[in-house]
This record gives sequence, structure tokens and C-alpha cells, in this order.
Amino acid sequence: MQPQVNLLFSNTETIPGMTITQSLGVVSGSTVRAKNVFKDIGAGLKNMVGGELKAYTQLLQESRNEALYRMLVDAQSRGANAVVNVRFATSSVSGGAAELLAYGTAVTVQ
Amino acid sequence: MELATAIEILFFIILPLTPWILSFAGTLLYQPAKKNALLERETASAKSGDSLSTLSKPFAGKEVREFELVMASVVMGPSWIQIVIGGLLSLFGGEINTFTKIVDWARREAKQRLREQVASKGFDDVINMRIETTVMSKTRGNKDKTTGVEILVYGTAIKY
Repeated sequence: MQPQVNLLFSNTETIPGMTITQSLGVVSGSTVRAKNVFKDIGAGLKNMVGGELKAYTQLLQESRNEALYRMLVDAQSRGANAVVNVRFATSSVSGGAAELLAYGTAVTVQ
Repeated sequence: MELATAIEILFFIILPLTPWILSFAGTLLYQPAKKNALLERETASAKSGDSLSTLSKPFAGKEVREFELVMASVVMGPSWIQIVIGGLLSLFGGEINTFTKIVDWARREAKQRLREQVASKGFDDVINMRIETTVMSKTRGNKDKTTGVEILVYGTAIKY
């Protein structure tokens, strides 16, 4: 089971209602994931009619949460209590795999 | 003789064409139906004004009680027919209408999902909304095949 992280995070430049006292540098988390062959086939069939490929939507959502979680663990290990300006980046690696990256600035807020 | 001809027609004309017929039907029937459903959802949530904005601060300096990073994403792919038409159109250049439609649809769908998610969690607005686009491709042999495009919409949901 993953340890719980209790950090504030936001993609705005400040944490609403709080002031930043210290910047602890850029933190990031990433993961590369692929769906199994059967779901790839399912998505291939769905590609025939077009529209949403639910298997991939789900895959990317799960992986993005994982990347976000890793970023928060990184921030916590630096002694931060918040991450501001969180950004996401995605790139597809060959073979239906995708790399998800989450990054932001670790700060302490009061 | 009659039966042999029938079997020949079945195996060499109808069966190979079935995916294309399905693809055609999907483009003409399935996609518009989904888009109409999306339009209805959009109309329903537009009644109270759009909750999404790209502003970096809450509107009119209001006090924020609670906030959360929210995101919604969708992967959409063009149908086979649309890929073929898109390929033909790209020979001439200019706008590739079939792909424009798919990407635009995906973006609307992702934004609508964010609106619904935010409303169901009880937040009032979303600030600093960002949109990311990624092309998902599959490598087959040494040729990259586009399967779809992923749209991610994320922002900070706030409660006044």
C-alpha cells in the first residue's frame, strides 16, 4: 500500500489564502505505461468507427495520478508542504505506451 | 454453380468490405449521436454560465475557502473512413476537415467532463485552466499509425 501524502497542490502561482515562505526547487514525477494486448485490440476495433477510446482514456488517467503521486512524494521528501504551478506533459512512446510527467515547484507555505 | 458464386461474393466482396461499411456507419450515425448528446450536456451546464476560465486569480478578488487541482481527459480517434479522407485531403493541403472535427470534439468533451466533475464536487469555478494535446500512435513495422489524440484539461477548482 502506498504511503499517504498530505500536501497542498495547485496549478496557480500561489496557494489561495496563504503566503509562500520558501522555495525548494522543481519536483517531478513520471511513469511510462502501456495497456495490455487485449485492450489494444479492443481500441483498434473501436478505431474503425471513431470516437472515444475508453481503454486509453482510463490508462492515461491512472498513470497521470501515479505521476502526480510520485511528484508529491518527491516534494514531501524535500520537506515541502505544498506544490505550486503544477504542469502536466504527455508523450507517446511507441507501441501504445505513453509517458506521463507531472512537475511543479515545491514550496513551504504559511 | 449458383451456390459457388454466392460463396465467392460473400468471401471476396462482402466480408472484406464489412469493416469499411461499419466504419462508414460509425462516421455517419454513431459520431453525430454522441455529439448531440454532448451538445445537450453542454447546454444544460451553460445555463448557469461557464465555470471554466484561464484567469490566474479568482474573479473580482473573491476570498477562496477551498481549492483542488482537477483534471479531465479523453482519447478520441478518427474512424477509418476519416483517416482515408484525411490522407487524400492532405495531398492538396489546406484544412483537413475530418481531423479538425475529431480534435474539436475531443476538446469539447474533455472540457465538459471537467465542468461536470467540478459541479458534482461542489466547486464554484475553475481558474488557470490549461489544455494539453498529445498524439497517440502505434508502431506497426516501421510505420507510425495514429490511433488517436489525447486531450487533457486541468485547472484549479475553487469554492468561494
